[in-house]
Amino acid sequence: MTDGERVLLGHGSGGKLYRDLVKDVFVNAFANPVLERLDDAAALAPPRGRIAFTTDSHVVQPLRFAGGDIGRLAVAGTVNDLATAAARPLALAAAFIIEEGFPLADLRDLCASAATAAREAGVPIVTGDTKVVERAAADGLFITTTGVGEIVVSHELGSSSVRDGDAVILSGSIGDHAVAILAARGQFTFTADVRSDCAPLWGLVEAAVDAVRGAGGEEALRFLRDPTRGGLTTVLAELAEESGLGIEVEEAAIPVSPAVRSVCDLLGYDPLTLANEGKMVLIVAPEAADAVVAAVQKTKYGREARRIGFVTAAHPGRVALRTPFGTRRVLDMPVGELLPRIC
Amino acid sequence: MCLALPMRITAVDGALATIATAGLEQRASLMLVPEAKVGDYVLVHAGFAISVLDEAEANETLELLREISAFAADDGVEADDAG
Amino acid sequence: MTQADELLRLAAALRAEARPDLTFMEVCGTHTMSIARYGLRELLPEGMRLVSGPGCPVCVTAMADLDRVVALARLPEVTLATFGDLIRVPASRTTLAAERASGADVRVVYSARDAVQIAADEPDREVVFAGIGFETTAPTIAASLLEARARGLANFSVLSMHKTMPLPLKALLDLGETPIGGFLLPGHVSVITGTACYEFLARDYGVAGVVAGFEPHDVLRALLRLVRQVTPAIEIEYGRAVRPEGNVVARRLMEQVFAPSDADWRGLGVIPGSGLALRPEYADADAAVRFPVRLEPPLEPAGCRCGEVLRGVTDPADCALFGARCTPEDPVGACMVSSEGACAARYRYGGIDD
Repeated sequence: MTDGERVLLGHGSGGKLYRDLVKDVFVNAFANPVLERLDDAAALAPPRGRIAFTTDSHVVQPLRFAGGDIGRLAVAGTVNDLATAAARPLALAAAFIIEEGFPLADLRDLCASAATAAREAGVPIVTGDTKVVERAAADGLFITTTGVGEIVVSHELGSSSVRDGDAVILSGSIGDHAVAILAARGQFTFTADVRSDCAPLWGLVEAAVDAVRGAGGEEALRFLRDPTRGGLTTVLAELAEESGLGIEVEEAAIPVSPAVRSVCDLLGYDPLTLANEGKMVLIVAPEAADAVVAAVQKTKYGREARRIGFVTAAHPGRVALRTPFGTRRVLDMPVGELLPRIC
Repeated sequence: MCLALPMRITAVDGALATIATAGLEQRASLMLVPEAKVGDYVLVHAGFAISVLDEAEANETLELLREISAFAADDGVEADDAG
Repeated sequence: MTQADELLRLAAALRAEARPDLTFMEVCGTHTMSIARYGLRELLPEGMRLVSGPGCPVCVTAMADLDRVVALARLPEVTLATFGDLIRVPASRTTLAAERASGADVRVVYSARDAVQIAADEPDREVVFAGIGFETTAPTIAASLLEARARGLANFSVLSMHKTMPLPLKALLDLGETPIGGFLLPGHVSVITGTACYEFLARDYGVAGVVAGFEPHDVLRALLRLVRQVTPAIEIEYGRAVRPEGNVVARRLMEQVFAPSDADWRGLGVIPGSGLALRPEYADADAAVRFPVRLEPPLEPAGCRCGEVLRGVTDPADCALFGARCTPEDPVGACMVSSEGACAARYRYGGIDD
């Protein structure tokens, strides 16, 4: 199969063409012994600990953007969902829905990108599926990834574990992915010095787990979530609502890159509600917070990690933002699509 | 009323200007401020420059806007300027 | 001194110098947002009230106008280009977002020029631009319309729902519902209009006005100026952007394309001469003329008190629907949809102790 070729309906119909596509593009890119068997189901040895299991569909447009592409996003997204359960990723499945006529060269590139992300996260893509649909039935390419992971802690992570006084830690700058996508879409003609932060974060979470073990025990790690659609505000608002506790964060502590800030000021967006694909919110017991921040800062994607606030018994169920001027306001979940405004 | 951001003109092509601020570049029409020239700071609303700002005055607004940026506050490093 | 210190210094001066029980009104949606976003009410002296007026162009758009926008969007040949501000506003029976989901060609643009470009790129489509906004925005629509003409584009038209500022202030004062000690005048509208148009406030009504910028310091400095005035006058706090004479070029373009018309303001009714209509020589680019549509009578949502909120008579929290039937996710009235509407600002950014 040459690069000048395009994906045909025949590639999805299970015969020789299909087999050729799978071997030439997918097995070639994802290269691992389990996948190479091309069984209908991948046989895996069970882990010792509990299993985490998650799935995500990726329909991003455009397929490529500064800092990433749908391939990288598909892997990172699922690895990160597993990571929020403190689960080491063990295996991924990737199902592709490809529009007839999609250039093979592009498919190869996107698979190579997915493979790079998977290698970085130390997880093989062991099984998958391919369907080809008629022109215009898919926006080029949709990818669904499913992941299974081994939970490395023995306690329950989640909103019910969060306590009054816990530290709220953010792993880095917010808004980069959303602005990179906006710029790539070209709907509002600007160029911004922004790259998507799309990245697999198991390494970052593993470092945090190691840090709490050394600073008071695993249970000091209360809660993990990645602020994807709806941004940081949504993660915090949901946590406050679910836990019945209050949260207070310092606006000045939340890192926002100058370019993201400028785009937000120009178009009227709030960076706190913008999507991220390579950031983590960690809620940690106060005695372990410094150790966690230090450990995360040493990881590739956590260099700007910092404490941004705390959990409180005051104003239960609500999130307060303290402005640089000492005044406070409520953070509420954003509604509906992201819309620029002139007013 | 209305969102408007101070930005610096880096190039002019007829009635269209290339304008920039920290990390962001865009085009805006100069039809409402025909006297504006390269190097001027202008207030930009909905794709149009509506006023020419004095440089010192523009910097005052930009400073006020950057007050909230963690980059300026935490690291003590000036956020990358439109220069 | 850091900016935060400066702000606290201004707040302290306000507390020291303000007489009790002063009510000031801001008439600019961006001020509403700014004040809420930075929690500025927390810094104001005990008895000082800062009330929101009819400064949100989306909120003051009459239901009948919104219904007309929807009707145009439904025409199969029409591409309805609009600022994002309008997408979720409830018209009588629907929203532009819902219409788009049902197949209407609705496109969000950042600038009217982008709509002109759509017309150039898609000659088979009739591009109708939903023109909302006050004097800050109207000149940009005028300029875009002239650009479309210059480029020979016959498929670009504007539905003008533009309104102008000083007259609603007069209407508010004539209503006399709330004692207003002074106005925070709109910063960017004033970039265009200059300040002469506000002189009547001080001269005829004895009400002061200060043109304010949008950063927290601007607002507090402007309030301090209002407090310090002995004889009511019109002043500019936002001197870095606003000149007393305004932007003459922008006003000329506006006057070339638009003529004053009667406009229907939600909450204030029809205010003669407060709207902007396309002049007859631009009738071919006037979407209301080009695409006559039959409209059903507009439906005002029951229990909605947007009108009173816009006049500063009712506080958002005093509306029975606020936070219950009417929320940002499920808004009844425009004041809750528009991110700078008084209700939305109060709901989203309300004080933590509310």
